[in-house]
Amino acid sequence: METPTRTGRLGRFFTGFGSLFHGLAVTSRHFGRTIFLRKNVTQQYPHEKPTLPKAYRSAIRLIRFPETDSHDCVGCKACERICPSACIAVDGGKVEGIKKKRASHFEMDFALCSLCGLCLDVCPTTTLEYSRLYDEAGYNRNWKHDLLAEFRAREPAFIAEQRQREQAEAEAKAQKAPKKEKPPKEGDAP
Amino acid sequence: MSDEPRGASSDPEADPTHPEAYVLNMGPQHPSMHGVLRLKLHMIGEEIVVAEPVIGYAHRAHEKMAENRNYLMFLPNSSRIDYLSGMIYNIGYCQAVEKLLEIEVPERAQYIRVIACELNRIASHLLWIGTYVLDIGGVTPFLYCWDDREQILDLLDAITGSRLTYSYGRFGGVTMDVDDAFLTGTRTFLERMKSRLPEYDTLVRKNVIFIERSRGVGIMDRQTCRAYGVTGPCLRAAGVAYDVRKSEPYGIYDRFDFAVPTESAGDCLARYDVRIREIEESLKIVTQAVRDLPAGPIMPDKPKKKFKPAEGASYFAVEAARGAFGMYLVSDGSEVPFKLKLRTPSFSNLSSMPKVLAGTMVADTIAIVGSLDIVLPEIDR
Repeated sequence: METPTRTGRLGRFFTGFGSLFHGLAVTSRHFGRTIFLRKNVTQQYPHEKPTLPKAYRSAIRLIRFPETDSHDCVGCKACERICPSACIAVDGGKVEGIKKKRASHFEMDFALCSLCGLCLDVCPTTTLEYSRLYDEAGYNRNWKHDLLAEFRAREPAFIAEQRQREQAEAEAKAQKAPKKEKPPKEGDAP
Repeated sequence: MSDEPRGASSDPEADPTHPEAYVLNMGPQHPSMHGVLRLKLHMIGEEIVVAEPVIGYAHRAHEKMAENRNYLMFLPNSSRIDYLSGMIYNIGYCQAVEKLLEIEVPERAQYIRVIACELNRIASHLLWIGTYVLDIGGVTPFLYCWDDREQILDLLDAITGSRLTYSYGRFGGVTMDVDDAFLTGTRTFLERMKSRLPEYDTLVRKNVIFIERSRGVGIMDRQTCRAYGVTGPCLRAAGVAYDVRKSEPYGIYDRFDFAVPTESAGDCLARYDVRIREIEESLKIVTQAVRDLPAGPIMPDKPKKKFKPAEGASYFAVEAARGAFGMYLVSDGSEVPFKLKLRTPSFSNLSSMPKVLAGTMVADTIAIVGSLDIVLPEIDR
């Protein structure tokens, strides 16, 4: 950079000094606005609970469907396979007396989960959703959660109800079936 | 090559026998180093003779991880490559895979992607302005930038459920539709940001201390930029109007009316000016995208369940906040990528540092390295 002349230097001093005051004017305006006009944005956390957005992502849980009052996990292991952090362990299979498969084990390690939501995407029965937990903390390395825990007690009752539902469905199907089979036969014949 | 490390000992200019010669380690835990960059500065007095960036402290083997999981499972990694403009990386990866698999993306999803990416770009530039001015001595603008950035993060939080690592894109669309509250919020933010830019101008750009510390400092000319593959605002500050969004338009960027701002000086001040003007251009794009947002689905009618591209390779580049981010995807016909090469902009930008820093004063190091807007996890990836 060229060395400025004496008058140049003086000019620069004044423009420089002026620029500081221009900046100060901006900060004072903000200061005034903050003091008089602005609402408090700080949330008093333990006393106020945060409002979570609709899309908020937290540890997954099984949806309790109102029709069955239970989850709909069939233990297909799709979520276990897609999970990039390998933090889901699912087991399940045939249950005596009903056609539907049921999960017998659904364990998840919250400490490893990165909340990517791929398990929600691949679930064939859409029985997974994000919970609304936001202040979870783990106290040891094995932070496993049994997602089926809240459904265990109701499971025998669910199976009994499911058997009735399936029977009713089968009867309805048996009644409908002969009617359905006739029209294509007639159409095919000529 | 001998066993000697690159730098002073192999450089005839850095004479270790000079009475004032010494090595200064700046970083990896220096408050002004963004992340864990270590600069090994071989100095004589206060003058840097040889500067040697030492990287690798945040290496997480993203490229190797991509080879061990299927295409979908790499999605959460993508925004963790560069956490400050994670949306652009996330959507960019989706677009790269869509190109390989030839998946059609619905119109609405395309527009939502542009809105989200440009908002993220503004947030990233705001963060840079705040921290850069903080680095060279101004504390106040940092708070204002953070305030503005917070508005964007709140907006993106509402649609993605996350503040930094979005994981918002899916192959063929996005995870969640935007609602009226988001669009209203975006319009409010656009208005607010337009009134904030003149304030930054008065507070930062006209400030004599800022000008003195950045004008003529760390000049990267066209030739240097080309030689090292520097892209993004650093390249545009040197006068090359290269922007992937304009040069090789991807997605629907060819539908928007925006300019590629350039400066000719190539110094730190020019890089600041380019970024400020880029914010303006991004605001323009978001305004147009919000105006034209069509109704419709956000995912294809029948989304694919298995992603199994045919054997082959494809290169796809997007304009991230720091420059051209390229992905070279090689498929061997299985569900797992054979190789995913990530070309991250900061890596190339940082590689020009030995040349730019040589001959400068140690006090300018922070001003020069800061002006590149590097993100270390993206360099190490």
